[in-house]
Amino acid sequence: MLFPTTDFAIFFCLVFLGHWWLNHNPRVWKPFMIAASYVFYGWWNWRYVFLLAAVSVITQVSAVAVDRQRQPKRRTLALALGVAATIAPLLYFKYYGFFTVNVTNAATTFGLHVAPPLIQVVLPVGVSFYTFMAIAYVVDIYRGDFEIASWVDLFLYLSFFPHLVAGPIVRPNELIPQLVVRRDPRHIDVAGAMWLILGGLFKKVVIANYLAGAIVDPVFGDPARHSSPEAIIGIVAYAVQIYCDFSGYTDIAIGVAKLLGFRFPQNFDRPYSARSIQEFWRRWHMTLSRWLRDYLYIPLGGSRKGTARTYVNLMITMLLGGLWHGAAWHFVVWGGLHGAYLAVGHWKDGKREAGQLAEPPDTTLVHWMQRLATFTLVCIAWTLFRADSVATALALLARTVTAWGLPSPLVTTPVLLAISAGLVTQFLPHRPAERLKVALSRLRPVPLGITVAVVLFLISTLGPRGVAPFIYFQF
Amino acid sequence: MTTDTQERPATRNEGPDHGIDDLPPGRRAMPAGRVLVVLLLGILLWGLLYAPELRRSSEAQPDGIRRTVSLAILRPVVWVEDRLGFTGLIDNASSALGRHPNEAVGGGADVDPLPSVPPPSHPNGHPQRDTKLREPTTAKPLRVVVVGDSLAQGIGSFAERVFKPSLVDVIKQGRISTGLARPDYFNWPAQMRLIVDRSRPDLTIVMLGENDAQSLVTPEGQPVAQVGTGDFPPAYEQRVRSFARLATSEGGHVIWVGLPNPRDTRRWQFIERQNGAFQAVADQLPNVAFFDTWNTFAAPGGGYTAYYHDGKQLTLVRADDGVHFNADGYTILMRLVARFATQQFQLDPRTYEG
Repeated sequence: MLFPTTDFAIFFCLVFLGHWWLNHNPRVWKPFMIAASYVFYGWWNWRYVFLLAAVSVITQVSAVAVDRQRQPKRRTLALALGVAATIAPLLYFKYYGFFTVNVTNAATTFGLHVAPPLIQVVLPVGVSFYTFMAIAYVVDIYRGDFEIASWVDLFLYLSFFPHLVAGPIVRPNELIPQLVVRRDPRHIDVAGAMWLILGGLFKKVVIANYLAGAIVDPVFGDPARHSSPEAIIGIVAYAVQIYCDFSGYTDIAIGVAKLLGFRFPQNFDRPYSARSIQEFWRRWHMTLSRWLRDYLYIPLGGSRKGTARTYVNLMITMLLGGLWHGAAWHFVVWGGLHGAYLAVGHWKDGKREAGQLAEPPDTTLVHWMQRLATFTLVCIAWTLFRADSVATALALLARTVTAWGLPSPLVTTPVLLAISAGLVTQFLPHRPAERLKVALSRLRPVPLGITVAVVLFLISTLGPRGVAPFIYFQF
Repeated sequence: MTTDTQERPATRNEGPDHGIDDLPPGRRAMPAGRVLVVLLLGILLWGLLYAPELRRSSEAQPDGIRRTVSLAILRPVVWVEDRLGFTGLIDNASSALGRHPNEAVGGGADVDPLPSVPPPSHPNGHPQRDTKLREPTTAKPLRVVVVGDSLAQGIGSFAERVFKPSLVDVIKQGRISTGLARPDYFNWPAQMRLIVDRSRPDLTIVMLGENDAQSLVTPEGQPVAQVGTGDFPPAYEQRVRSFARLATSEGGHVIWVGLPNPRDTRRWQFIERQNGAFQAVADQLPNVAFFDTWNTFAAPGGGYTAYYHDGKQLTLVRADDGVHFNADGYTILMRLVARFATQQFQLDPRTYEG
């Protein structure tokens, strides 16, 4: 079920009613919420609810097996087996086709004949996200950071519909304790929730969907037919599109959870205002960044095993982060490029700490130049992320310098306005928005309902027709 | 990625460091019952404001309970709004916001504007019936139009990449959810007439039929032939023939790209009959050729496969839905169609890659 649809609107009203009606009785409330989440998930394909249930069972069995081991080596072995079992469905569903094609073609190159079964494995939505949450749970049990949750709580933790298909990747200690306490039905932050939901819809439906059709898809579809200005604006437009698309989804998810009395962690914090790539990753898809840090980079040794090993660990983490986004070489190269950016940033930091490299002047002009440089590097990497192959990405990047003087019909005022709107949100002060939220919170239900309806009508009308899926659903 | 200098939480089954009920200063909370009023009122009022557009998108859905129920709710609402003059007000508001209420469906930004081309002078007043496509030049590139449904949108995008921009102008006209069965929703013959009159394509690549497993109606919505009855096949073939005649009426050429086999084998019999109709029409009409996508992308044993082996390399070509192609698949299909055009109509091989 997609958030910006009438199906979801009806579903959510029913769930909202049932949730607050049953809230006082956890023995009924939890099964109700699990059932609702499974309906939400099964709306795409009912067969996938069995996968979600299977991953939940594997996770809890693995966690219990890890928890029972007291001897460190056996505990580590149980963890390795548990993580392998938890991640196995993801590896099969996401990477079977990729490895089949690449292994077969590599073998052919060396004159070998390999004939794996040519099965088309359809990727179930959300599997990458809830698998990462499942791994976090098993590892936290291993580390002693968290105690075994009940089966019902674990099932609800993994399936809770607001985060189910595209995050945020919520840690066990952020959500499971909230499932244990009763939520207060008298104090719902309706203004904050509506702000997030309507703002998220605006970013997704109006800005992201518009830019996709107006310039991004044509430019990335065939770089050879577009001028340098179109190529540059097309790449920048994609940077805005993916931000508005993904942060829009996350805002809706957080807003929906808020209406049900739950808090989700923040997932975006003005990423294009970052002055370095390190800072960018502290602001972009924050729940994935910290997952990669805590469950991959640190276990690999982080920065504790020397400079060379730090670079290797950064590269491994970002290459696997790239592969997590999609089973294709251009995602791997995207991850590798970010790994290289981070390694260079780390090297520069080391030089500065050793006094071998001067600190840049702490002026506004320098800050803006740093922002511009960071944004440019991020956009170059986004080109690899969005293109359907490395070759197409390189062709588009080459086009940014080789086709000046051609007409640029796709660079229109609405396109530039949409890009500006997406970028300006990175730099707006918080206070006016907070004042608006306070004003909204003081409205009575009927005026607030009318306001919601009018804003929804404006969003539906300003956006292109049809429902475009969120970009991160494919991951 | 964040650095490992930041501490990871070390709590044991503790919640976040602040309660879920804390609100920023000045902001007021609301009880659940009132929030439900806000939600219901917001959605209902939005539904009323957006009812004309919702009705249009419901009409685009294939026959079925979902469409029937949606229209049963929306038609009376829109009828009342029409009588009260609300529809005009809402449509005016939509127009002011840039949405044209009666714009053609299924299109949007994926559909190219039609270029205007002056009519050619035909010897004896009739278009020529040759089987050779003209030689393109950089001054006068070939005009290739891609028409059809979502599959055509896919090949249209990749036609732009396969055909060389200096020698071929690709005009994408694919519109999702359209077909020949429901001219009440989108009238392809009328659109094809417009395309031919205005842009005079040298080559029209057609990929239509994926959405046609439904009863045939007239542009006014009157029933013509019920799907599944004996009336359907000849009536459908007649529509295909009329469409192909229209597309070639000014001397243009047509490649009718057949439908691929979908993963859902229950649909095979119907689609094989559709492909039979496309093939039969191509056999009957000059300047029309049928490209057999089904057998090109079928498994060696004739079944469905998502992979394509060109003798050298294995490629995953089908999308997860088991109907459409992925980017590699559309590229391969478009290259094969271009080569087929060379075989059938002597399309200059310099006009395309691969």
